[in-house]
Amino acid sequence: MQEPTRMQDMEAPLAELTDRFEWRDDNRLDVFITSDRLLPAVEVLFAHHWVYLTAITGFDSPAAEGSEAEGMIELLYHFCSGASILTLRLSLPYSNLVVPSVCHLIPPATLYERELIEMLGVEIPGTTSTDRLLLPDDWPVGVYPMRKTFKGL
Amino acid sequence: MNETLNLSTPWQKGLHKVRLWSLTNSPWAIHFNSGSCNGCDIELLATLTPRYDLERFGVKLQGSPRHADILICTGPVTRQARDRLLRTYEQMPGPKFVVALGSCGTSGGVFQGCYNIVGEIGNVIPVDAYIPGCPPRPEAMIDGIVKLLGSLK
Repeated sequence: MQEPTRMQDMEAPLAELTDRFEWRDDNRLDVFITSDRLLPAVEVLFAHHWVYLTAITGFDSPAAEGSEAEGMIELLYHFCSGASILTLRLSLPYSNLVVPSVCHLIPPATLYERELIEMLGVEIPGTTSTDRLLLPDDWPVGVYPMRKTFKGL
Repeated sequence: MNETLNLSTPWQKGLHKVRLWSLTNSPWAIHFNSGSCNGCDIELLATLTPRYDLERFGVKLQGSPRHADILICTGPVTRQARDRLLRTYEQMPGPKFVVALGSCGTSGGVFQGCYNIVGEIGNVIPVDAYIPGCPPRPEAMIDGIVKLLGSLK
């Protein structure tokens, strides 16, 4: 396998897909994108041999109480190369929780995507299977345990 | 268990003596993990090794619940494992005893209140002996099981 491009040199190819980079550390780069740019961004990473998707993180960040802003669910796609982690970050508003699947590029990603579907209620069209993976068989449909609003059944 | 037995005649009393003798001298155990972190399971297996030699009390790990007298249950009960635990318990022939192993089995432990947890083992099936610890030492398990057997005499 060819070595991935150095992370310091990844800003240029990703520049037109993002409006913001954030260096968290010498070897941590966060790239803020929107959901329609996820697949192009993954393709750019693939072209530079960043092919190792280590995890997809999802978390719920509801709007602050009394605020007009809409609650968001944030997704973080972590790509690794040695000790470097490049993270694609995107936030989805509650009104449009849809993100395209990356399964045609990274088939095992379906496990993470199914977890997002079950735990946070994100819709991911194109993932290979949407059968129940982690939650118990008798879990009610439409209840997402990793949402902040979840307070037990 | 005496409540259901008629001990009015001498032969019934004698039979009961034989039954109790065989029960307390060869209690066969089945091990069920209802959602444990595996700490108690490993410690239970260590207890069955020749170093601690639980077999000197006649205790033997049995593969099938239909051949077992003691259900040694580890971990909190998850929603998914609840039905399996009940089915295992109901397949055991009476008289049968349940030992709840570890902090999680006795109280839910650190998993208490988690979205997929029903609670302690006592919430699902009647428990005869609790062995606390995280995980309990093999000596504690032997002590608990011997005390359970002693209480039958």
